[in-house]
Amino acid sequence: MPSSYPEQYFPIVLQIAIAMAIAGAMVAASYLLGKRVRNPVKDSAYESGMVPVGTARERFSVKFYLVAMIFILFDVEVVFLYPWAVVYRDLGLYGFLVMFLFFDLVLWGFYYMWKKGVLDWSEEPPRS
Amino acid sequence: MNVVNVLLILPAAGFLAVLLLPRSRPDAAKIAALAVSLAVFLLSLSIAAPVHGDGAELKFVTDVQWIASPDIRYHVGVDGLSVWLVILTALLTPICVLISWRYIERRVKEFYAFLLLLEVGLIGVFVAWDLFLFYVFWELSLVPMYFLIGIWGHERRIYAAVKFFLFTMAGSVLMLAAIIYLYLRAGTFDYVVLQEQMASGQLMLTTGEQLLLFLAFFLAFAIKVPLFPLHTWLPDAHVEAPSAGSVMLASVMLKMGTYGLLRFCLPMFPNAARQCAPWIIVLAIIGIIYGALVSLVQPNMKKLVAYSSVSHLGFVVLGIFTFNEIALDGAVYQMLNHGISTGALFMLVGFLYERRHSLEIADYGGVATPAPNLAAAFLITTLASIGLPLLNNFVGEFLVLQGAALVNFRWAVFAAIGVILSACYMLWMYQRAFFGETPEEVRSHVYDLRAREWAAILPLIALMLWMGIGTGAFLPPIQALNRTVLEQTKSNAEFLVKETPPRPPLRTENGAGAGRGLLNAR
Amino acid sequence: MPASLFPPYEDLLRILPEIVLTIAGTLVMVLEPALRPERKRLLGGIAIAGLLVALWGTAVANLFRGPAFHQMVVVDGFATFFRALVIVVGILAVLCSIHYLQRERPDSGEYYALVLFSVVGQSVMAAANELIMIFIGLEISSIATYVLAGYLRDDRRNNESAIKYFLLGSFATAFLLYGIAWIYGAAGTTNLVEIRRVLSTPELAPPRFLVGVSAALMFVGFAFKVSAAPFQVWAPDVYQGAPAPVTAFMSAGPKAAAFAIFLRVYMTAFEPISNRWEPVVWLSALATMFVGNFAALLQNNIKRLLAYSSIAHAGYVMVAVSAHSEIGTAAAMFYLAAYAFMNVGAFAVVTHFARQGEKYVDVDDLAGLGHRQPVTAALFSIFLLSLIGIPLTGGFFGKFYIFKAALEAKLYWLTVIGLLNSAVAAYYYLRILVVMYFHEPGEAAQTVSPVAPGVKIALWASAAGTLLLGIFPSVILDFADRSAALMK
Repeated sequence: MPSSYPEQYFPIVLQIAIAMAIAGAMVAASYLLGKRVRNPVKDSAYESGMVPVGTARERFSVKFYLVAMIFILFDVEVVFLYPWAVVYRDLGLYGFLVMFLFFDLVLWGFYYMWKKGVLDWSEEPPRS
Repeated sequence: MNVVNVLLILPAAGFLAVLLLPRSRPDAAKIAALAVSLAVFLLSLSIAAPVHGDGAELKFVTDVQWIASPDIRYHVGVDGLSVWLVILTALLTPICVLISWRYIERRVKEFYAFLLLLEVGLIGVFVAWDLFLFYVFWELSLVPMYFLIGIWGHERRIYAAVKFFLFTMAGSVLMLAAIIYLYLRAGTFDYVVLQEQMASGQLMLTTGEQLLLFLAFFLAFAIKVPLFPLHTWLPDAHVEAPSAGSVMLASVMLKMGTYGLLRFCLPMFPNAARQCAPWIIVLAIIGIIYGALVSLVQPNMKKLVAYSSVSHLGFVVLGIFTFNEIALDGAVYQMLNHGISTGALFMLVGFLYERRHSLEIADYGGVATPAPNLAAAFLITTLASIGLPLLNNFVGEFLVLQGAALVNFRWAVFAAIGVILSACYMLWMYQRAFFGETPEEVRSHVYDLRAREWAAILPLIALMLWMGIGTGAFLPPIQALNRTVLEQTKSNAEFLVKETPPRPPLRTENGAGAGRGLLNAR
Repeated sequence: MPASLFPPYEDLLRILPEIVLTIAGTLVMVLEPALRPERKRLLGGIAIAGLLVALWGTAVANLFRGPAFHQMVVVDGFATFFRALVIVVGILAVLCSIHYLQRERPDSGEYYALVLFSVVGQSVMAAANELIMIFIGLEISSIATYVLAGYLRDDRRNNESAIKYFLLGSFATAFLLYGIAWIYGAAGTTNLVEIRRVLSTPELAPPRFLVGVSAALMFVGFAFKVSAAPFQVWAPDVYQGAPAPVTAFMSAGPKAAAFAIFLRVYMTAFEPISNRWEPVVWLSALATMFVGNFAALLQNNIKRLLAYSSIAHAGYVMVAVSAHSEIGTAAAMFYLAAYAFMNVGAFAVVTHFARQGEKYVDVDDLAGLGHRQPVTAALFSIFLLSLIGIPLTGGFFGKFYIFKAALEAKLYWLTVIGLLNSAVAAYYYLRILVVMYFHEPGEAAQTVSPVAPGVKIALWASAAGTLLLGIFPSVILDFADRSAALMK
């Protein structure tokens, strides 16, 4: 059992060192071994598929944000789901009911945004 | 049921009733207001006789709890001081309804509703025996007067109304603080209980406390009176108000201030009052002379009468703070006199305005020719106002001067200057307005008193004579009360005599006796 | 273990109002897309019904006084008082909104759901007995209110209002959260009663510095929420920009709830160090009164004027807080109730008068309303006179109790200055009366339409509340007195 302060953190230091070594090695390997092709597209910064040139104040469709929010909503739901599943047996009926209630609420939320046309990506939303 | 309660409930009910009347029937509002206010007046007469016997005793008492915690009570009653003021209020309200009969053409029903609400507030102030209740009525009377000036006033009415409201409000918030402080010290808002506690020494205020509390109360009252440097709202309010507003303001509202001084400032904080008395008297005398001098140069009739009010009320304050029985009697008497004679003056000026639509003295002249009766009524009122013997003001002014002279002769000398000046400005105005050449406008517009106007002015003229001759009908309850007040100021003063009252009040028995003898002789 | 996981049913009853409101809010939300546009006004009715049931739920919860959910919430008189208050404010706000919403944005009904959720948050705040619950309640309430402030999303003023409120509000909440973290670190608990115990036990007491920092940080958060100086700058812009009924709502409901947690935290948890926070609150009260009243003197926009007046009134309540006594707490409670009625009433008039697109919101636009709509003007006068503090109105007794509490706590100067401030305040309220009654009717008053039924009910109810509190203050005050004593 490590007792002193530095000793406690030794594994973390080790992990950092290994991570840095691997990352460094990969960059170095591609630098040393890779074939070099230079063109403007290749030299520009990587922006997840967006064209990085142009005004920074590009306007997105609000749908992007809505989808992002829905994603987070259900993501969080899953986050709750995993630990719940682990202790499901211990919680018993109580756990079932509580999670049922939770899902119920999320489901109503889903219904709401469905009806609101959040998932409808056509040009003219049917209503509101 | 206790008549005093009826005197409060009846106008309040009238207020609501008039408000609920249809807008299309302005006459109904007038008639209802007149009926209600006349009923109140007739009822108010019934409180005179029982109080007459012993003015110092509190009569017609109703004492029920209003709010449990803090202990706020609906405690009302009348004594020798309130009784005449209540009757005065009740008398003037129907008269105000009469003089507004034709003059108020816009939003008639609201006007009469506010007039009745004002009556509630004013009567309430005079009959409240719980400090909190007193404050409630005090503030309540502010609102209808604000609207009366603001809606039905003359050109600069808004300025005047706001100024009036803010001045009074600024003074009264400090009074509220003082009332709460007293409550925290004594555990009661009830004035009678407070008095007992003070008399028995159960509640002892330190000198500093007493002084601050006195000043807080005094400021509120002094603004209302108004005492000299705080008077500036008064001319504006008077000039801009409609006639009925001016009458109520001059005759009753100003008395709220002097009533408060006599009722609360003296008995509750006698030492502080005695300490401050010389300064206050100086201010009062400045007010007397200043008011008179300004009146002398006023081209505007209403303003002239307004400044004369400053002057006359200086006498009242002077009388109160001499701590002399005769002067106190005079002060109270003068409160009533001023209410009647100045009320009548404002009314008559209002009559002139209705005819000629001007308040400038220069626009009149020779009014006596087309309107001899109006001129006669005006003359009597003028003479009463300047204190001609056999008319009411003479009695009050004489008593005040006599009492003041017994204490400090110089005060009387200076104050007497005010009497002389009042004769100058009043008679001069009368001469300019009523005698001389009659201009064409006056001749074509000014007509004589109508029946309705007679009905409004006659009771006041009768009272001027009655109060000037038959003082015995009015003075006894006042005297009884004032004796008590003076006793209270002394009983409380005992443990603080070492605080050096700057000039120990001189009170010669035979002087007092002589004064009373003189009056009773007439 | 499994069976004990179910909370006892008393616990559920103790949060009955929150449960009811949540269900009602969700119902409104779900029904909204299902209803045809012309039937969406039904949602307002559902919201009111939900609020009324929640009011009943508050009464039921009050029968089961005591802590619930491991001391996280507590039902006592104090909680019941503020729950009822915020629910009543919610009802009045919804009543004002029905017509407004039809006029400005008829196609949407989430508005009511947001109001209900905001009330849920405020109700949680009222009953929270623990800092995390306080924070959660505050966030639920605030986030819904942020959205409400910008509800008319095509309106520039609404946008400005919402973004300002959101940014500054989040910033202030962060301070609060940071303060909570400090006190948790110092005292090892977030339960208010526990914190009080720790602070008042000499052996357990954490360093004074830590507690002081925590109290100061939390003060920033609370002062922001109640719009007390020097954290009041957001209020005028937000109140002016937000839709009028929303302003009515947020100047009364969230403010009352914020004062509830303010009082609860400072009177319970930080009570042992009251001699140290009292001067801060004192100073803030003073500054708030001055800033509110003197800035209000210069305003022409009536919403902005009422916003500054709202700041000033927060200052009066702060006076009661700085008295830090049970009487002070009761006075603050009473005042907030009176203030809710008179302020919502005043904003209801503004809502009614402003017309499409809030065109007429200047003081001068009200010219001659007294001629055109005497009843509306008369009711408005009652609210204004109450805001001035004229007897026989709730505002007067509120001020009276506050300054009584202050004098009892020997805060003489604060009392005198506060009272003089209220005389100054008379000026700007009188200006509205002047314009309304003494000026000839202008264009706005000529074209004024009859009062919509919802607004009418709200107006009369507010006026009745104002006068009731002014003539028979005991109905509320006795309850407040008893509740304030129960707090610890």
